[in-house]
Amino acid sequence: MNSGRLPRPVLALLFVVPFAVIIGVWVVVKHALHVSDDALASPAGVLAAARDLTGWGILPFDVSRSLYRLAIGSVLAAAIGIPIGLLLGTSRTCVAMFAPFLRFFQSVSGIAILPLLIVWFGFTEKTIQIVILYTALVPVIFNTMTGVRTIPPVYSDALATLGGGRLHVIRSVYLPGALASIVVGLRLGIGYGWRALIAGEMLVGAGGLGFMIFDARRFHDLGQIIAGMVILGALYLVIDRLVLAPIEAATIARWGLERT
Amino acid sequence: MARKSTTTVGKDTSRADKAGQRQGARILVDGLSHKFVDQQTGEVVQALEQVDLTIESGEFLTVVGPSGCGKTTLLNAIAGLVHPTGGEVSSDGAVVRGPGRDRGVVFQELAILPWRTVRRNIAHGLEIQKIPRKEREERVGYYVDLMGLSGFENAYPHQLSGGMKQRVAVARTWAADPNVILMDEPFAAVDAQTRITLQEELLRISTVSNNTIMFITHNVDEAVFLGDRVVVMTRRPGRIKALLDCPIPRSERTVDTMARPEFAAFTERVLQLVREEV
Repeated sequence: MNSGRLPRPVLALLFVVPFAVIIGVWVVVKHALHVSDDALASPAGVLAAARDLTGWGILPFDVSRSLYRLAIGSVLAAAIGIPIGLLLGTSRTCVAMFAPFLRFFQSVSGIAILPLLIVWFGFTEKTIQIVILYTALVPVIFNTMTGVRTIPPVYSDALATLGGGRLHVIRSVYLPGALASIVVGLRLGIGYGWRALIAGEMLVGAGGLGFMIFDARRFHDLGQIIAGMVILGALYLVIDRLVLAPIEAATIARWGLERT
Repeated sequence: MARKSTTTVGKDTSRADKAGQRQGARILVDGLSHKFVDQQTGEVVQALEQVDLTIESGEFLTVVGPSGCGKTTLLNAIAGLVHPTGGEVSSDGAVVRGPGRDRGVVFQELAILPWRTVRRNIAHGLEIQKIPRKEREERVGYYVDLMGLSGFENAYPHQLSGGMKQRVAVARTWAADPNVILMDEPFAAVDAQTRITLQEELLRISTVSNNTIMFITHNVDEAVFLGDRVVVMTRRPGRIKALLDCPIPRSERTVDTMARPEFAAFTERVLQLVREEV
C-alpha cells in the first residue's frame, strides 16, 4: 500500500477520473467533428434515451429480468461449484486429473456453446439459464479447487489430531481456507456469466438487457444502444461492490489473509 | 495425503477418567522404520531405522538429535499422521492406525487457524467433542488465563505475536484433553525470552496434569530442562543413540536446582552425545 499519500475518501473517489476522461473524449469527438446522431449519440442523447426507456417501463423490466437470471445462475453456480471444487481440491490426484479438463472448458466460452444450446433447447429461457450457469460454474470450481490446494496441510493434520473427521476438516479448514479463492472464482464467474447472459439474450430474444440493446439496432437508436452498454457496466460494478466486496471485508480481510 | 480417519485407540479413555486421577497412555514404539521418496530429488530416504522406544504413562520424554534425523517422522508416526513402512506404534496396547484425539499434537509450524479467534481456536477440540457450551467456555477461560492470553480472546492470530500464537496452539491441544501430548519443536520459532517463559509454563502445567508428553527439540538445554528422560537420536537414518535419566525430578526443577553441578554435568553429557552426530 504505497499510494498512502492521498486521504482515503479521495482514493475512494478516484475511480471517477477515467470515466470522466472517456466522457470528455466522447463529447469532443461528437461535437468538434460534428458526428451525426446516426453514427454516434451524444451523452445527452444517451441520457434522454435512458430516461425514455425508464419512463416507458422497458428499462426496469429488462434490467430486473437480466438481474434475476444472473442471480439464479450465480447462486446455482456457487451451490454446485463450491462443493465440487472442495471435493476435487482435497486430493492431488483429482487436481491432476481435472485441472486441464476445467481449463479446457474455461476457454470454450458460453457464447461458443450457445448455438448448441439453441439446437437442443430452442430460443428459450432454459437456453439462457444454462449458458450463464455453464459460464459461471467453471471458474467457481476451478478457483475453489486451487484454493483448497494452497491451504497448509498442517491445518487438516491439526484438526485430525483434535479428533476432527472429514466433515470437520471441510467445514473448518477447506471452506474458510479457500474462501479468498472462492470469492475470486465467484467474481470471475459472475463477470463472465454477465457477459454470456447478454449474448444469450441477444440471440434468444426473450427480453432482458441484451435483448433491449440488440432490439434498439432495428430502430437505429444509438442512444438506446449506448445507454444499455453503460447500464451493463454500471450494474456489474454495483454487484461487485454490494455483494462481493462485503464478503471479502467480513472474512478474508478480518482474518488477515492475503487476497489471491 | 492418504489418510485414514479411523481411529482405533483412545476414543473414550481420555474422558472417562478426566476427573483428575487420569493417567496418560503408555506408548510403545516397536521396530519402527520409515522410508519415503523425497519429492524434490526423487531419492528414497530412510528416515527411521528400527526404533524401539517406550514412553511410560505420565512421563515427559524429550527427544534431541541433529536436523533431519527423523525426530518429526517419529512423532508423526505416533500421532498417526505417517504410516510407517515398518514396525508399529501402540498406545495402551492398541495399535495406532491414524490420528485421534487421544494423541494431541503441537506442531512445529503454525497450525492454529487464521479464521478463528483465539477463543475459538482453543475451543476447537472441545467443539469437535461436542462439549456443552458452558463447560467449553470454562475450560477455554482456564487455558486463556494459564497461557497469559487474557484480553486477546477475540483477537485473530494475525494480530498476535509469534510467542502468543504458539501459546494458543499449546492451549488448544491441552484444552482438548488428550492422553498423550506430542510436541514438535513448538518453541523453535519463538524469541529466546519468550521461550524460557513458555518452557517454565509447560513444566508447571505438565506437573499438574498427568499426560504422557513427548517433546522434540534440537535444543539440548530445553531437552534437559523439560524431560524426565532424554532420547538422543543418531543422524539419518534415525536410530536411538542414547536414553538418559535426568538427575533432578521434574517437580523440583527451578533456576536454583538447574545450577547444581550434577545437572550441569548431565547437560554436558547430552550435548556431547548430540555433537557426535552433527
